Amino acid sequence: MDGQAKQGSQGGESDMECSDTECFDDYDYYNNDDNEIEQIDPKKTDIEYFSCESLNEEQVERLLNETVELLSNNLQITPSSAKVLLHSHEWDVPAIVRNYKENVSNIRIRTNSAIVPQSQICFRYITCSVCVTTQNSDKFFSLSCSHSFCKDCWMTHFEVQINQGISTGISCMARDCGVLAPEDFVLKHLARTNLREKYQQFTFQDYVKSHPCLRFCPGPNCSIVIYSKEIKAKKAFCSYCKTSFCFKCGIDYHAPTECIIIKKWLTKCADDSETANYISAHTKDCPKCNICIEKNGGCNHMQCYSCKHDFCWMCMGDWKTHGSEYYECSRYRENPNVAYESAHAQAREALKKYLHYYERWENHSKSLKLEEQTLTKLKTRINQKVMSGLGTWIDWQYLFTAAELLAKCRYTLQYTYPYAYYMDPGPRKELFEYQQAQLEAEIENLSWKVERAETTDRGDLENQMDIAEKRRTTLLKDFLDV
Amino acid sequence: MAALPRRIIKETQRLMQEPVPGISAIPDESNARYFHVIVTGPEDSPFEGGLFKLELFLPEDYPMSAPKVRFITKIYHPNIDRLGRICLDILKDKWSPALQIRTVLLSIQALLSAPNPDDPLANDVAELWKVNESEAIRNAKEWTRRYAMDT
Ligand SMILES: [Zn+2]
Ligand SMILES: [Zn+2]
Ligand SMILES: [Zn+2]
Ligand SMILES: [Zn+2]
Repeated sequence: MDGQAKQGSQGGESDMECSDTECFDDYDYYNNDDNEIEQIDPKKTDIEYFSCESLNEEQVERLLNETVELLSNNLQITPSSAKVLLHSHEWDVPAIVRNYKENVSNIRIRTNSAIVPQSQICFRYITCSVCVTTQNSDKFFSLSCSHSFCKDCWMTHFEVQINQGISTGISCMARDCGVLAPEDFVLKHLARTNLREKYQQFTFQDYVKSHPCLRFCPGPNCSIVIYSKEIKAKKAFCSYCKTSFCFKCGIDYHAPTECIIIKKWLTKCADDSETANYISAHTKDCPKCNICIEKNGGCNHMQCYSCKHDFCWMCMGDWKTHGSEYYECSRYRENPNVAYESAHAQAREALKKYLHYYERWENHSKSLKLEEQTLTKLKTRINQKVMSGLGTWIDWQYLFTAAELLAKCRYTLQYTYPYAYYMDPGPRKELFEYQQAQLEAEIENLSWKVERAETTDRGDLENQMDIAEKRRTTLLKDFLDV
Repeated sequence: MAALPRRIIKETQRLMQEPVPGISAIPDESNARYFHVIVTGPEDSPFEGGLFKLELFLPEDYPMSAPKVRFITKIYHPNIDRLGRICLDILKDKWSPALQIRTVLLSIQALLSAPNPDDPLANDVAELWKVNESEAIRNAKEWTRRYAMDT
């Protein structure tokens, strides 16, 4: 096999797709005309587009072995030793080769038996320092560090380590010796099949975890590994169990917020959960007639069932003031004089600010769940309609598309709140909050219409879908930095 | 019970023949894997003059796994908690089968001479050791006098 040529092309065909997307990104940027969106391949217009593959264990094994073979051919070392190097150097073949050529002596992993000092090869008796048993020297083995121990001690050492879940990290038995035991050395000393299997399972896990382009699918009981050449905070998707997650950090997808920021936010929310608890009320009083109103849909545009007053669930203000030009509900008005206030007042202001963002973050998350329920109910109703001859399945598909889009938009909206919370004040934050407000207004309009889908004009609904998605992509184009 | 491994027999013999200065480790009469240990508080340490009882147990897979060691005498030390558990790297991830009971006991003795509040097990003790060392040392001496001197 030609080592150089194979290098870095583990993904096979996906190469082509990547470069295509790059070319079209620019094209899309200058031709962002509404009418064209539907005709262009979504891959090329979607700034969130991410190319990844769902691999099963066998496919991953093949991918890893290609790299192992490449390195072992290149450096003339055993595949096991190549694995040790790859595992500890993020599978970066060019870097390892460069490193190796610059400083061969630094990389001390070689085939093992060859390195046993000459003196030990001839016939004599030695005492193993671990079991204090004296045996013929042919019962002794060592790693590249030449610390030799008897065969039985190696075996027990490996058994104990593997039972503790350690595999690629098993090192030499000598004190302070960090030389790692390559796979073939370990397997040679393991007699029991179940331990060999366990060992191979553990090493597989370690290899995947150490590989920058591979991620275990976080879906429950899913053994799929997601592969992507592009290591970005984009939405990875498992085509088997349909779980999606952020490819870079592995948790729930969080655009436009960055990985470190979302982590900080989630930690903060967990730490402050007590303070924020009181928010989780499902009922509020109508600001006009004071009748108790329960929120049972996702839409934040509420209408009192008694006095028909339209108001906003978040700020309890009149919904009339929430027209897209004046939408102020998402923005937090910071007290400009807070720096001159007492420490106590500053702490209160900080809490007020956090609660403002937290409340909205939490509320959209709840709305997402409620809208899911709405969709389930809608499905049942449509099913009944179709069964009783009112239209066909295909006639009603647009409604599901609308509900799906609503969920996608609200999801992004939810994740704009941690982003805004950590933003420094200034024109960029103002622009962000302006776009966030626009997005929020259109999402509530869409939600209102989806909840009343059967009585809303289809064209009207589809128009609203377009507007909401356009606001979403505008915000992501300006602020998503991956 | 399985026969005692040669390694344990050898180590025990050597511990009896050439004991570590300031430390006595005596195997239990009924269980050769269980040792009654007494460590003398090192000179120029807040533990000076104290005699600290410990228990040491060699698990089934010793020496592949580290011995289990615990202080029985109460001690005021940032790396030893209320239950007598010891925070020492060679008892955990830095264990090597080439280490011995002797090395472990020497390391514990060294830990008494040089407490390390940056790698704490007893958080309140470590905290005081960092912010007010003289008060912490006073406490350690007080505890030594109260719990580790002949009763
Ligand atoms: Zn070694
Ligand atoms: Zn041995
Ligand atoms: Zn999956
Ligand atoms: Zn992320």
